[in-house]
Amino acid sequence: MKIVGIAACTSGIAHTYIAKEKLTKAAESMGHKVKIETQGTVGAENKLTDEDIKNADVAIIAADIKISGKERFKNKKVLEVPTNIVIKSPKALIKKVEELLNEKE
Amino acid sequence: MDLSKVIKEERINLNLNAKSKDEVINELTDLLVETGSVANKEGFLKDVYAREEIGETGMGGYIAIPHGKSAHVAKTAIAIGRTYEEIEWGSLDGKGVKLIILFAVPEEDKTSVHVKLLAQVASILGDEEKCQELLTVKSTEDILEIMSNNKKGKEVC
Repeated sequence: MKIVGIAACTSGIAHTYIAKEKLTKAAESMGHKVKIETQGTVGAENKLTDEDIKNADVAIIAADIKISGKERFKNKKVLEVPTNIVIKSPKALIKKVEELLNEKE
Repeated sequence: MDLSKVIKEERINLNLNAKSKDEVINELTDLLVETGSVANKEGFLKDVYAREEIGETGMGGYIAIPHGKSAHVAKTAIAIGRTYEEIEWGSLDGKGVKLIILFAVPEEDKTSVHVKLLAQVASILGDEEKCQELLTVKSTEDILEIMSNNKKGKEVC
């Protein structure tokens, strides 16, 4: 499946980027396509395009704070979790996303 | 990418004497003070502990990433320490930590290249293999190499 997502944490220094990396690695290792935008101290990086979002099967928002541009996902299946969940068990999270999408079908 | 701006050998101590979380933070902060990154130790410590209040900085897998975004930081920097014994920390996996990476970021350093470098370091920590290497390599040079090379690290035993 195609996954898009956002990572953002309280101080925007560390957890945001660790979460992005973990999510990306876990998703790729399980055969998915993934792109994660980071909203950290330096602003948004690896920004999701409209095309990215349109093509995605699911959006994961891994954030401890309010993110900007959430309305971009209004027609998507969205899973929201704190960054801690991603950092602690990224593969379990992806698995949960897989189950969620399968249920729907 | 020039990580040497934020990570220096003098800010790495693989033989921390600390036996508690407070002692670890104190020892690493001393490294930051000695190398000119932190201008006011007491003030910086207060900000680091304020961040600790918000949530666990132990990310699991024996690694913790305390950080202070603080007006008492003169230069963005990272101090890295490793202990022999597990230190009780407050981690996502409930385990102790052995590798502690203390980030010091000035309050106003919002868009600088340094913060981007920190982000690079943080993404290295999202790589389990790299984390494993950071926990086991023998020398500060090895740590520097893993940190500054965002590709697959060299084989370690």
